[in-house]
Amino acid sequence: MAVDERSLWEKIADKLRSRSLWMLHYCTGCGAMELPPTMTSRFDMERFGMGPMATPRQADILFITGYLSAKTLRRVIYTYEKMAEPRYVIGFGSCTLNGGIYYDSYATINRLDYYIPVDLYIAGCMPRPEALLEAFNELMRMIRRGEANGWKKYKENYEWYKQNQIRSLGEVFVHDEFHE
Amino acid sequence: MMNSMSNTVEKLKRIVNNLDITKVDEREIKLELPNEQVLPTLLALKEDGYSHLSLITAVDWIDEGKFELVYILYSWDNGGKFLITTKINRDTPKFVTVKHMWPIARYYERELHEFFGIKFEGNNDMRPLFLEMWDDMPPLRKDFDPFEYSKRKFPDREYQKDVIHEAKIIRGDIDG
Amino acid sequence: MGEVKLFFGPNHPGMHGNFSVHMYVEGDTVEKARPLPGFLHRGFEKLMERRLWYQNLALIPRICVPEPDINEACYAMAVEKIAKIDVPERAQWIRMIVLELARIASHLMSFPGIGGTIGLYTSSFWGVSDRDRILDIFESLTGARVYHMYIIPGGVRKDLTPKIQDLIFNTLNYIEERLGEYETLIFKNRIVHTRLKGIALLDKETALELGVTGVGLRATGVPYDIRKVDSYLFYDKVDFEVPTATEGDAYARVYLKYLEIYQSIKIIRQCLEKMPEGKINVPISEGNALRYRVPKGQAYVHIESTRGEYGYYMVSDGGEKPYRVAVRGASYPQTFIGIEKYLPGTRIEDVPIWLSTMDVCAPEVDR
Repeated sequence: MAVDERSLWEKIADKLRSRSLWMLHYCTGCGAMELPPTMTSRFDMERFGMGPMATPRQADILFITGYLSAKTLRRVIYTYEKMAEPRYVIGFGSCTLNGGIYYDSYATINRLDYYIPVDLYIAGCMPRPEALLEAFNELMRMIRRGEANGWKKYKENYEWYKQNQIRSLGEVFVHDEFHE
Repeated sequence: MMNSMSNTVEKLKRIVNNLDITKVDEREIKLELPNEQVLPTLLALKEDGYSHLSLITAVDWIDEGKFELVYILYSWDNGGKFLITTKINRDTPKFVTVKHMWPIARYYERELHEFFGIKFEGNNDMRPLFLEMWDDMPPLRKDFDPFEYSKRKFPDREYQKDVIHEAKIIRGDIDG
Repeated sequence: MGEVKLFFGPNHPGMHGNFSVHMYVEGDTVEKARPLPGFLHRGFEKLMERRLWYQNLALIPRICVPEPDINEACYAMAVEKIAKIDVPERAQWIRMIVLELARIASHLMSFPGIGGTIGLYTSSFWGVSDRDRILDIFESLTGARVYHMYIIPGGVRKDLTPKIQDLIFNTLNYIEERLGEYETLIFKNRIVHTRLKGIALLDKETALELGVTGVGLRATGVPYDIRKVDSYLFYDKVDFEVPTATEGDAYARVYLKYLEIYQSIKIIRQCLEKMPEGKINVPISEGNALRYRVPKGQAYVHIESTRGEYGYYMVSDGGEKPYRVAVRGASYPQTFIGIEKYLPGTRIEDVPIWLSTMDVCAPEVDR
């Protein structure tokens, strides 16, 4: 979607949004290990106006930290669809880009943007906290410029995404039956 | 071999005939046993101090058509390890459970059923544990190709070749 | 009030890692609990069979995030045991230093875990930023913060230069100084006492029966430590103690971790003193490093990780790739049988305390 299509109010709203981003606290993979240093004293994420958030309803950013097994991907899709718009996705690490070191694994997916739209990727295994902060700043810039439009893409190409999800997962529905 | 370990082996020789012993190192002994002698041996070892079950696992010897079950017992008193192995038929993989001796064995067996397809008599809890909605053969068998499965189920990113960039690398304008 | 079905995790801020527990709850008390693992399953054991001996070095540290070095050491020691290689003495000492540094880092990371569950966030901030000092050592030694790929079969990858030795020495002094402050913050804190003492009890007999190892077992008064009982590397040549407690509750386990940091510091100082000069690695077989062949055989190697017995069972058929590698995650017993047997009866707010002090670690269980 082009930049011009935003109204003045949307531009202002985007500017404000970029200043207060809440990141969903869902550690999907091993990249979650570099999140505590980023959040705490040494790198201090909060100076950029970002903080961790417990529930998807109130979060803006879905942060996919590393590999996703098919089992987790179901929950991630659920979580993503639960989040309020606008919502942004950051793929962290090589495994979300192209499978990384698990390119031939039977349990993990190879490419995240095939299932949910991704606004920004951070390459590397595992990226350093500095790379994370750089990515957050880049995401803020993208939001201000109106380029982080993954959530709109998801609405427009919903059929395509759903079809891809079903191809890989068989069924997106989560069967969390009680393990008697 | 440590003194206390050789004592244990002597004791085992009285229970089990034709003991096939491989000494891996000073504190590690591998015993290959016929199927029916595994449980008595495990019991004897457990009573002799080797009461910590480190691991139950399996090896797929596809050329022989056998699965090799491995029980690793460890003694906290002298630091000795026993690897008790037995081979079972690969076509109808079946063995008896040891969950009454070690509670954790229940989950190891459940895992083996999921990854190798081995059934354990007496352990009926064989629902999938790690994988969800698995639709192929048990993945740790040797004839299962994960790359093939991954290509089929999880599509790769298609990279476009940047010809101009590569030409620049060849010419030496930029470092690849 | 009827029974309520409660799903704890995987997407839950109180959950450690990507792991889930399903519970039936009556009022505030857990009636039934079942673990649901597998969210981090990557099929490591299969992937290792597909890669060359040397290529696996990149794969193994990624099995367990908090403690990559334990995996590297296990893998390297298993290969050496099958191929019957004598590792240079200096490399062994360096390995011990790296493993103990990793233990300190992992223990420091457990303070944030416990701090997050009881709402004492100061310990989270302290633990993580002090752990970063250890990561800085790793960075100058190996070039990476989290996944080092440093311990290779046949030795280690790079030498421990005097400059890094100085860095280690200074960092240890700093951490030792800081530990006094941890004592005042956590272990002399009345809130922590009320919140952790008498919670998540485990007694000696059941711990042994379940096969719980590590701090969980030592907190019940059993001084079992693989470093002492089945000594590997040069742990029999250094002087250290295995701290134990008798209470078997959450407080005892956290306190033992704190005491173990002192022991690790003591071990590293001795290693730095006793380390001889010499070679740091030997080739494990002839020819091209990528095409190494390991002779036929099998071995089980286990070492004491922060959470207990971490083991590799490795089979080689004499080829260029491992025939089978089976990994025993240290927290396997407490994750499965422990949750099933011990969570019923506890209150909901104590469940995260149980999980974090018993060191339930999802990646090493799922593999």
